[in-house]
Amino acid sequence: MSPSSLIPVAEKIPVAWGYLHFLLLLTFVLHILFMNVMVGSAVIALAGVVRKKSHNGVKLSENLAGKIPFITAFTVNLGVAPLLFIQVLYGNFIYVSSILMGVFWLSVVVILVIAYYSLYIFKMKFHSLGYMRILFMGIAVAVLLIIGFIFTNNMTLMLHPEKWSGYFSRPDGTMLNLSDPTLVPRYLHFMTASIAVGGLFVSILGHFKMKRDPLTGSAMKKTGLKYFFHGTLVQMFIGIVFLVTLPREIMSEFMGGNLLYTGTLLTGIALGVISLMAAAKSRLGLTTATTVLAVISMAVVRDFLRASYLKEHFTVSSLEVAPQYLPMILFFIILVIGLISVYVMLKWAHEAVAEGAS
Amino acid sequence: MNYPIWDIAGVGQSLLIAVMAIVHVYIAHFAVGGGLFLVITERKGLREKSPAILEYTRNHSLFFLLLTLVLGALTGVGIWFVIGLISPAATSLLIHNFVFGWAIEWVFFVGEIVALFVYYYTFGKMGDKKHQIVGWLYFIYAWLSLFVISGIVTFMLSPGKWLETKNFWDGFFNPTFVPSVFFRTFLALSTAGLFGFMTSSFLRDPDFRNKMMRYCAKWLILPLVLLLVSSAWYMDALPDHPHRMIGGGSHDIQPFVKGFLYISPILLLGGLLLAVRMPGFLRRAVAVGMIVLGFLYTGSFEWIREGARRPFVVSEHLYSNSIPLELREKINTDGILAHARWVDIREITDENRMKAGRHLFNLQCASCHAIGGPINDITPLTAKFNVFGMDSMLDGLGKINRYMPPFHGTVTERAALAHYIVHGIHGKSESAVDPVKIQPLESAVPPFDEADDEYMVLAWNDLGMHCITDFDRVFGILPPANTLFAQVIKRGEVPELISEGITVTYTVPDGFAHPEKHVDFWEHSRELYGKDLEPGVGLSGNRVDGEFSYVHKHRAFVVDKIPVVPYTDEGAFLPYPLFTVEVKDLKTGDILTSTKVTAPTSTEMGCKNCHGGEYRVNGVAGIDEATALDILRVHDRISRTKLMERVRGGRPVSCRECHADPAAGSEGKPGIMNLSASVHGFHANHLSGRDGSICKKCHPADAAGVTKCLRGIHAMLGLECGSCHGMLEDHALALLKGEMEKGVPSAERIMAELKTRTAASVEEINPRQPWTQQPDCLNCHVNFNPPETFESFNQWTSNGDALYRNRSDAAGVMCAACHGSPHAVYPAVNPFGNNRDNIQPMQYQGNPYPIGANRNCKVCHRMEMPYEFHHPNSLADFRNAMY
Repeated sequence: MSPSSLIPVAEKIPVAWGYLHFLLLLTFVLHILFMNVMVGSAVIALAGVVRKKSHNGVKLSENLAGKIPFITAFTVNLGVAPLLFIQVLYGNFIYVSSILMGVFWLSVVVILVIAYYSLYIFKMKFHSLGYMRILFMGIAVAVLLIIGFIFTNNMTLMLHPEKWSGYFSRPDGTMLNLSDPTLVPRYLHFMTASIAVGGLFVSILGHFKMKRDPLTGSAMKKTGLKYFFHGTLVQMFIGIVFLVTLPREIMSEFMGGNLLYTGTLLTGIALGVISLMAAAKSRLGLTTATTVLAVISMAVVRDFLRASYLKEHFTVSSLEVAPQYLPMILFFIILVIGLISVYVMLKWAHEAVAEGAS
Repeated sequence: MNYPIWDIAGVGQSLLIAVMAIVHVYIAHFAVGGGLFLVITERKGLREKSPAILEYTRNHSLFFLLLTLVLGALTGVGIWFVIGLISPAATSLLIHNFVFGWAIEWVFFVGEIVALFVYYYTFGKMGDKKHQIVGWLYFIYAWLSLFVISGIVTFMLSPGKWLETKNFWDGFFNPTFVPSVFFRTFLALSTAGLFGFMTSSFLRDPDFRNKMMRYCAKWLILPLVLLLVSSAWYMDALPDHPHRMIGGGSHDIQPFVKGFLYISPILLLGGLLLAVRMPGFLRRAVAVGMIVLGFLYTGSFEWIREGARRPFVVSEHLYSNSIPLELREKINTDGILAHARWVDIREITDENRMKAGRHLFNLQCASCHAIGGPINDITPLTAKFNVFGMDSMLDGLGKINRYMPPFHGTVTERAALAHYIVHGIHGKSESAVDPVKIQPLESAVPPFDEADDEYMVLAWNDLGMHCITDFDRVFGILPPANTLFAQVIKRGEVPELISEGITVTYTVPDGFAHPEKHVDFWEHSRELYGKDLEPGVGLSGNRVDGEFSYVHKHRAFVVDKIPVVPYTDEGAFLPYPLFTVEVKDLKTGDILTSTKVTAPTSTEMGCKNCHGGEYRVNGVAGIDEATALDILRVHDRISRTKLMERVRGGRPVSCRECHADPAAGSEGKPGIMNLSASVHGFHANHLSGRDGSICKKCHPADAAGVTKCLRGIHAMLGLECGSCHGMLEDHALALLKGEMEKGVPSAERIMAELKTRTAASVEEINPRQPWTQQPDCLNCHVNFNPPETFESFNQWTSNGDALYRNRSDAAGVMCAACHGSPHAVYPAVNPFGNNRDNIQPMQYQGNPYPIGANRNCKVCHRMEMPYEFHHPNSLADFRNAMY
């Protein structure tokens, strides 16, 4: 059975693909940053309660405990948008891969509920939990790591129509993409990034705490940057492994074969190296800026990688457009209004909390 | 079609959607109404300067946050995950059409999260005015989410103009959008009241608790009343099809309609009850009970809404099993296996039939039906079928009851699916049916002396076969009622039809004298046929032995409705009892002449082929209880009757009570189709595209059966039922058109999916009334000549007098007197002995051909005759000589 005969017919899109593609990348970057913070913070919080001798660690856990549920809410929320846009652009691939691994894919929702409530319990009962802290945060971390693994499977399985015929021997939705050599490096690439970005987040929290509680603040800043530095160092290595496990013809595109692809990758790596050096010098602002830029570059690289995998079967530019622009215009208007209201609410909240504290 | 099918038939795809969706929808409505509840309750606390109310609001908002932001939000994403897995085509359609609708909804989702977090975590810390604004912002965002989702959800139910324009706004602002927004808003507000009860019932201070419970009661009751008003509006705005489905067209959603209707007043009463002071624990119990009721209430509504758009997932566009309406014809022509992407079988062979059947099940059935799962389990629904029955069920699917999608694909594919369901799922084995071996019976032909005998008697049955429905404690269509005719001829140069000075009697053969021992007709004759009858007495007062009456109109002796049944006292099934007919001199009592005649009567009706059950008597004939009850069950389901209830109450169902039956002279009820149109019309939908012998699956003429009632020369020459009566669909359409012209509304519904066979269009089919308008022999035998065509469909006798069985020649001899009974015209081959249907030709002329065939005028005239007096071409050699 030829792989292309299995690829469903794509549907028409309502606006030129560029808009959707832009929104996909934009919201994906936001989602992945929040996801990194969520997973990283959870791991650091778990480490804090596991190594309970360290008073600072427990305090840090408690601090993070109060924030992770919020971050989780936004990670989920910001995950909705890229999942929407990827279904518009790549629906005929991602619906298929999701179905092939349907059991795992659907389990994401169920186990996430468990993780989410564990995080709330961890937050709300932090003081009374005692040993159970490890249990609840342990469950949450484990679930989040599993979900990451499931996502990595889906995002890679959708790129491999040649593997889809496995459906005929396993139609029950229990396929995974385990035979893909890029799977593990790719997964680790995201998870290690999470440790680094989670560390950076801790560091930023510490920075803002400096004014009121300089001791804790500076300790957090230091710890956070330590996580960031080591995480990013490992990340460099994993990134190289990821690159060399790519199929030769795809890898070569990122190693000079395609100037745009190679240039973007090099930019991302360079930004990563700069962020590493900045972190070594405790320059938080520069670290943060270069990290965000590196994540953006890498998200674009990831997008190129997808295009490169699929080019034999499909390009987004081939999608037929049945133009209806008004809903998109309305979306942008509502987005602006929404962001303004969010800004105002957060400002008020900040003021209220600041007043309460003073 | 386009996507792989997640094979989880053991669980059921619909179960996943149902669980995820109902949980989400309940919480989601709470998330909207509860938002307003928070901000209004906070305002109440501020106005009354009540710290208790404010504290309550804060606590309630934490509960609200934990429920809506976690479980509510995640199950919302969960629905999206599930539908993407189960209905990717529909999901893709919704995503692509409404991408910016979803994107807008996502912005509202962002606003909700931020507002709710800010609202809860700054409670008591932010200025009252600002805090109230944040609360309002939460509610506005939540309500706007409801607004957007309503547009998309109602689009699926009533896409309206979108079907033509594919325009975002046409789809969004569809005909049921506005009432849906109102309905859901009120539902959301009442739900807020329900959850308010729950948190209020846990308040410690009894007075304060009482106050808050009363406050919550207002939240529940007022919106609930408005909800009921808006539900009527919603209902009114529905397109015809979903409206009909809810109104009773879909039996599946009726329990939920009832649930919705019954729970409404209970919720109202419950709300009032909770406003009354009572002990805390009792209130808590009632409050929790109300939460459960609210869950069932919301679930019922959603189930009704989802069910109402069946057989579609997007009405009039995409079937529930993801098959696009526009591909229907194409798939039926090429086969679904040719069009589906995710199958590894394109051609069905004997080896891969089972696997292909499984593919077909996944493609067509699995989106709703599980194999053994808790919802929509296919197993009990198909347990009664053999392959033929299953195939016929699939054939008729979605045609009359437009609740399920029709089967899509070729006849071969349909058979493979039936094969899979019967053999694969049910593991039934089905060996080819061996034809029943019939022992020929002796049929002693009475003697006749051509030289000396003065009289002859010709006797026949009026129909050639009379069927009996013999499970009268459940239902009755056809009573034991066999009508015999006889004409007595005094031989001579000018033979005479004798009507006076004689009596004509009939005597039942041995073993058939007590029909009352074999069927329960006499116990139910009052209920079924309106007559109290002594056991053994038929509907016209005749017994199985007795005397003919002379009927002037026919110039024949007739005995009406002899209650003979095809069962002998020894327990055999024998559908051709041979009666003795004797003509006696009225004065002397001397026997002038006698003959024998079969009274063909059978209970070999093939209902069980599709309705389950088995033949009751010797495995060859007789309706059994399972079959009879299933017929009523199906009738109840399709026609929304309560026949089963009636039978359970001990009263059998008389079909003719509602359905007119000219054969029995019953008029039925106005507005309801006559029995023939109804029965043939319904079944034709399930037996489409078959050959002209399909009738034999129900009527007792199956080659593998015992009766083989189509046994005249026409059958011997290879003509089928359809040759004279038309192919089943055409036959049914003629009857249905007859009813349609009389203004019977349901005829149109039954006709909708019937496709003509030999006629070019439905318009070309001539309507007819059953029993009086039949094919005329002269359609083919034009002017009594050999036929030039072998199809007689669409030319009907003008009335009952013109029927073969009622017609006579110029001499007054009835057609059937010389040619035999309909369906058994001479020479007929009776399965029980070659001449059982040819007694009189054999008796009077020594061959089985029509009386007087081969220029045998002397059989009556005692001499050769030069004229074709009886009918043209009557002086001819029999063309199809058999011996």
